[in-house]
Amino acid sequence: MTIRNTSARWGHVAQFLHWLIVVLIITQVILANIAEDLPLGMKKLAMFARHKSVGITILGLAVIRLLWRWANPTPALPTTLKPYERALAAVTHFGLYLLLFAMPLTGWMMTSARGFPASWFGFFQLPDFVPKNDALYNAMKETHDTLALALYAIVFLHVAGALKHHFMLKDDVLRRMLPFTKKS
Amino acid sequence: MMTIATGTGTADGGRRAALVAAGITSGLFVAGALAADAAPVTRYTLDPAKSTLEFQFQQAGAQNKGKFTRYSVTLDFSPDSPATSKLDVVVETGSLDTGDKERDDTLKGADLLGVAKFPQARFTSTQITKTANGYDAVGKLTLRGVSRDMHVPFSFRTADEQGKPAGYLLGKTTLKRLDFGVGQGDWKSTEWVGNDVSVSYSLRLVPAAAH
Repeated sequence: MTIRNTSARWGHVAQFLHWLIVVLIITQVILANIAEDLPLGMKKLAMFARHKSVGITILGLAVIRLLWRWANPTPALPTTLKPYERALAAVTHFGLYLLLFAMPLTGWMMTSARGFPASWFGFFQLPDFVPKNDALYNAMKETHDTLALALYAIVFLHVAGALKHHFMLKDDVLRRMLPFTKKS
Repeated sequence: MMTIATGTGTADGGRRAALVAAGITSGLFVAGALAADAAPVTRYTLDPAKSTLEFQFQQAGAQNKGKFTRYSVTLDFSPDSPATSKLDVVVETGSLDTGDKERDDTLKGADLLGVAKFPQARFTSTQITKTANGYDAVGKLTLRGVSRDMHVPFSFRTADEQGKPAGYLLGKTTLKRLDFGVGQGDWKSTEWVGNDVSVSYSLRLVPAAAH
């Protein structure tokens, strides 16, 4: 396996970014759910502060990931796929990339519109994305929550697709994104 | 030699007399000036519409801002005789406003400012001294029932606004919230909410008589 992608396989960097973002998104879901259930207080504040820091990390990684994708070959889908399957794969991937940006950006707008400036793990303070505005906060919260549901749905499709490729079609679509697997 | 000595003596005597006269004159002048300066202590009170009392603190690594909207200020001030000057500020802690109800309610709650039990914070100066940049009011700040020594540095300038006198008191100071017990339970930790709270004041004061 190489650092860069080949036409048949994802390279080290693409794999690392993919799985790191997977771990961070799971972290985000856990932090958000813990925070939502907590009463007002310091523990809630701490959970949301972490949620914001991890969200900004994902935003940064999404930028790197997209740049890396553009600068590398993209492994081709198996030629056996039907046109609708290709279309479904394309839409799912596009949706995932879109949400990698939309989730952090709507979250950032939420915190700015609410008048709670955010920092990245306390190292530096983020500029306010938008001015304080209650109506905008409500709209962004609604959007952030709805997009989270959309993310769950698309991730479900993405995982289902990967498992179908692996177990039913028995191709290397899943394997080529897994580290420590041999090229088939 | 004698002639010269006498001549010198005469000149000395004349100079001495002149010095004594000058000394008396300047002494009288200084005394007069002191009397004139010590006398006019002007009592100023707050023009709330054109004043701000704000605070800032770190929350999870980011600056949070707020203000108090109800407070009173009494300043007895004589610019050249700060020793006879006095600053008294009473803040209604319940008038805290950070622009977010949840944050306001949390800050007003029993574990932080405890406004139900401690509705007022008060600063009373015991001494005002002149500094390079203005003045320093030294006194006691009573916040959440705890009194501590506090410095309130400020600059003061007067203005004539269409025949009406006004004074502008500006400055910034910092206090440690935990010194006053602002932070009980979880909030005693400074991991997520900093101990330092900076307080900025931009006050328009008007002579009490002008009210």
